Amino acid sequence: MLTSPLARLLGLGLGALLTLAAGLASLLLGATEIPLATLVEAFLAPDPGSTPQLILLSERLPRAVIAALVGASLAVAGALMQTLTRNALAAPSILGINAGAMCFVVVASTLFALRSPLVLVGVAFLGALVAALLVALLGRERGGGLSPVRVVLAGVAVTALFVSLAQGLLIIDQERFESLLLWLAGSVAGRGLETVVPLLPFFLLAAALCALLVRQLNLLALDDEVVKGLGQRTGRVRLLAGAAVIVLAGGSVALAGMIGFVGLIVPHMVRALFGRDHRWVLSGCALLGAGLLLAADTLARFLMPPQEVPVGVMTALLGTPFFLYLARRRSLSP
Amino acid sequence: MGFSRYRRLLRPGALVLLGCGLALVSTVGAASAGEGHRVVHALGETHLEGRPERIVTLYQGATDTALALGLEPVGVVESWLERPMYRYLRDELPAEVRFLGLETQPDLEAVAGLAPDLIVGARYRHAGVYPLLSRIAPTLIADSAHDFAAMLELMGQATGRESRARALLDAWHARVADFRCRAAAALGDAWPQSASVVSFRGDHARLYYDGFARSILDQLGLRRPEGQDGPGWGIKLVSRESLPAMDADTIFVFMRDDPAVAELHRDWTAHPLWRNLAAVEQGRVYYVDPVIWNMGAGIQAANRLLDELYAHYGLQNSGLQDYGLEDSSVPEGEGATC
Amino acid sequence: MTAPRADLILRTADGGLSLRFDRRTLAVTVLLALAFVASAGVSLCLGSQATSPAAVFEALFFPARSDIALIVHEIRLPRVLLAILVGACLGVAGLLLQGLVRNPLASPDVIGITGGASLAAVSFLVLGGAALGEAWLPLAALGGALSVALAIVALSGRGLTPARLVLIGIGISAALGAATTLVLVLAADTTAMQAYVWLTGSLYAAQWREVAALAPWALMGLPLALGLARHLDALALGDDLATGLGNPVRGTRLALLLLAVALAGSAVAFAGGLSFIGLLAPHIARRLVARGHAGLVPVTALIGALILLHADLLGRLAFLPRDLPAGIFVAGIGAPFFVYLLHRWRT
Repeated sequence: MLTSPLARLLGLGLGALLTLAAGLASLLLGATEIPLATLVEAFLAPDPGSTPQLILLSERLPRAVIAALVGASLAVAGALMQTLTRNALAAPSILGINAGAMCFVVVASTLFALRSPLVLVGVAFLGALVAALLVALLGRERGGGLSPVRVVLAGVAVTALFVSLAQGLLIIDQERFESLLLWLAGSVAGRGLETVVPLLPFFLLAAALCALLVRQLNLLALDDEVVKGLGQRTGRVRLLAGAAVIVLAGGSVALAGMIGFVGLIVPHMVRALFGRDHRWVLSGCALLGAGLLLAADTLARFLMPPQEVPVGVMTALLGTPFFLYLARRRSLSP
Repeated sequence: MGFSRYRRLLRPGALVLLGCGLALVSTVGAASAGEGHRVVHALGETHLEGRPERIVTLYQGATDTALALGLEPVGVVESWLERPMYRYLRDELPAEVRFLGLETQPDLEAVAGLAPDLIVGARYRHAGVYPLLSRIAPTLIADSAHDFAAMLELMGQATGRESRARALLDAWHARVADFRCRAAAALGDAWPQSASVVSFRGDHARLYYDGFARSILDQLGLRRPEGQDGPGWGIKLVSRESLPAMDADTIFVFMRDDPAVAELHRDWTAHPLWRNLAAVEQGRVYYVDPVIWNMGAGIQAANRLLDELYAHYGLQNSGLQDYGLEDSSVPEGEGATC
Repeated sequence: MTAPRADLILRTADGGLSLRFDRRTLAVTVLLALAFVASAGVSLCLGSQATSPAAVFEALFFPARSDIALIVHEIRLPRVLLAILVGACLGVAGLLLQGLVRNPLASPDVIGITGGASLAAVSFLVLGGAALGEAWLPLAALGGALSVALAIVALSGRGLTPARLVLIGIGISAALGAATTLVLVLAADTTAMQAYVWLTGSLYAAQWREVAALAPWALMGLPLALGLARHLDALALGDDLATGLGNPVRGTRLALLLLAVALAGSAVAFAGGLSFIGLLAPHIARRLVARGHAGLVPVTALIGALILLHADLLGRLAFLPRDLPAGIFVAGIGAPFFVYLLHRWRT
């Protein structure tokens, strides 16, 4: 673990470099070899007739952007969740976000025949919001605050409900099942930047919210009584942090499907390196999450070409060994 | 002299014995005539009594085959598209046929309730349920879902319609030979061609290495291009970068009528990598019926597939109505050497 | 707090052996048992073919005289029995795991057992094992569950603490889920759908050979769980206190874990990914019966069986002629009930 601010800063810098390298790899490597020069030219001297440039701009760039955005968002959302529930096992998926998105998408495309990708992204986001709100509602204690244990239990119930509805519809309709399977498995490919742009303001808002709440989040890890004694309003902090989680995770699921591993595991790895201060944890999560997903997406192209492995699978393959190593060594509270 | 007492009984006794003997002989004779026959299939042997009349088909190819043989199934499973049954088969189904639910989980109680004489299933779906099905009625299991010739023979053997099955298969082979000959004549040096089978979905494209359509194309001489000889059913392509994997002399494309699919198709076919494909440059990209190419999996679907190929290659087709039942020799004066 | 009501105490004549029954637990158990028998009866009488209770009775006991003997004996009865066994096993497995890790969220899928069974089963189906003979599928699933359990124990090393157990279980579970997804994505459509139905949890086409294969596990495991239940009470007090009470903590934990794996693994092997019952049944049981684990085991088993019986019934009847997997309805029934309990729960 890095303890001094200088060490941590260096650590973040290294992380940024690694992420950048992963991003470059994601842009340059693939079924078609694209040299670095082409990348530079594409931005400085664009040539609409050049096929490598076209591949770069129409395929690789949106993919890299989405991977970085989704990876960072999921990791940060996971860190927030673990702090909010004071449970090392928390991940955004327990708020029912994945299940809500999945269910709404399945219902929309099966019962309402909505098939356009842009519309489905919106529907998925809506589903994530509805499910999370339902969980928040059910997780309220009599006093009015949110009880972590109740929230988690409510999340389990809501997830089960939504998933079962989606499963029922998918089993009846094999064609729909086949179309949605790749999204369910998690995929950053095949989406253009035009699907990202409408969601971008939400992501930025959530990021701003995180930046503002850093100090309060540090205190939230302490017992509620202590925190209230220090004059913090836990209810409001929880609410705002919860909203940030929903937006970040919901937006990610809407764009890229179920990539569940990142939100659970990356915060642990970051905490192992940087300690518990949320300034470092959140920044580290954003970088490491983006880098992990970029690397996973790149590797996914090479495992069994030309078939691409779903990116959610790659993140699991990459992250599990490291996570298991950590789980054996460290103590486990967030 | 008790003998004379018995002699009086002799004549009626003899008649009685004769009567019993005749009855016995006729019973044995009837038993051996109705003894039934054994049919060997993928999961063993099945013993059938007489000619089964009440047939239940548990997968699409079996339904197609049964209808082709002129049978009237009492129960069939639902189709995946064009529910409850594909349009090309719908009119041939008897009106009182019972739909048994999805192919993945047909309603077993309903099957039992129909009191069938014969149940036809496929190994990939019904291997686990086979013991239960055999207790309901004699069951045949096909080894491969898309080997329609094997299914035709099996069902013909089981239902006593071997001659009809044979006629259908002979007609099929004749058509295949006819197609190969005409294609070679029409295309000259460009024959034989390599062909890809591609399907566009809502968020990805599929390239088929195996399956019903692929097996028929192989028979016809439209072989697989190099690079498509991997194991398994095929691959899913998620990014337009992988478009070159589809390349071949001809590309057959099937897709559902769906806005998301249409959008993907538009995006992918607008890309320069698509335009660079050999088939696109030569103008040999043909759009075909997804039901026929991917779902029907029986002899009727096979014949319709061949009809589409005749049409796409602009060859003289001896016609749908000829297959199997009439003399399908080529009319005089066609000018073809086939 | 009111004084506890007098418990029912049974003693042998010389007082050497005594059993104590809490009245409320006893009442709840008896009521559940009655509901259970009624549900099983109703389940046997209902199906896609209309049958009257009298006809079903005749078919059950006098099969030679009945037209519907085949339907009742070969199709409905094995399915009902399998639902009962699977539901009971999963419920009790969940109870054991929750007591073991002292976390109300523990269930066989959180620990990764179902994940292992699922991966093994899905791989088996996709790699063409269905052609080998589906009799091997349960074995594959069980093998997967056991491997995962062993892996978790091995990875936990010396410190088999609840927290570590759960965390490693979750990590393995996530990895296994990803691998299962990969297999599904690469599979041909027909096998992918078959595997997905298995993952959802289905009792379709249950046959006697499956009931016969699961019964030994259930009939040995459930009484064993009842016997080990008091250790759970001790463990709930915390490791130190439990050791102080003379409980061999580590050995007990291992035994409980293996038992839970055996019950859950074998149940999942035959019915697919139905593990939500393992989470739900113990929670419902605890709301009904507040006392110790020994009373909870039979109550949980009965509740698990009831949930699955009803879920399967819905799956068979609600969307005729389609037969939908029971797993869909387990959540459909269970989750709202869970939510209701949550609503009434005072923290």
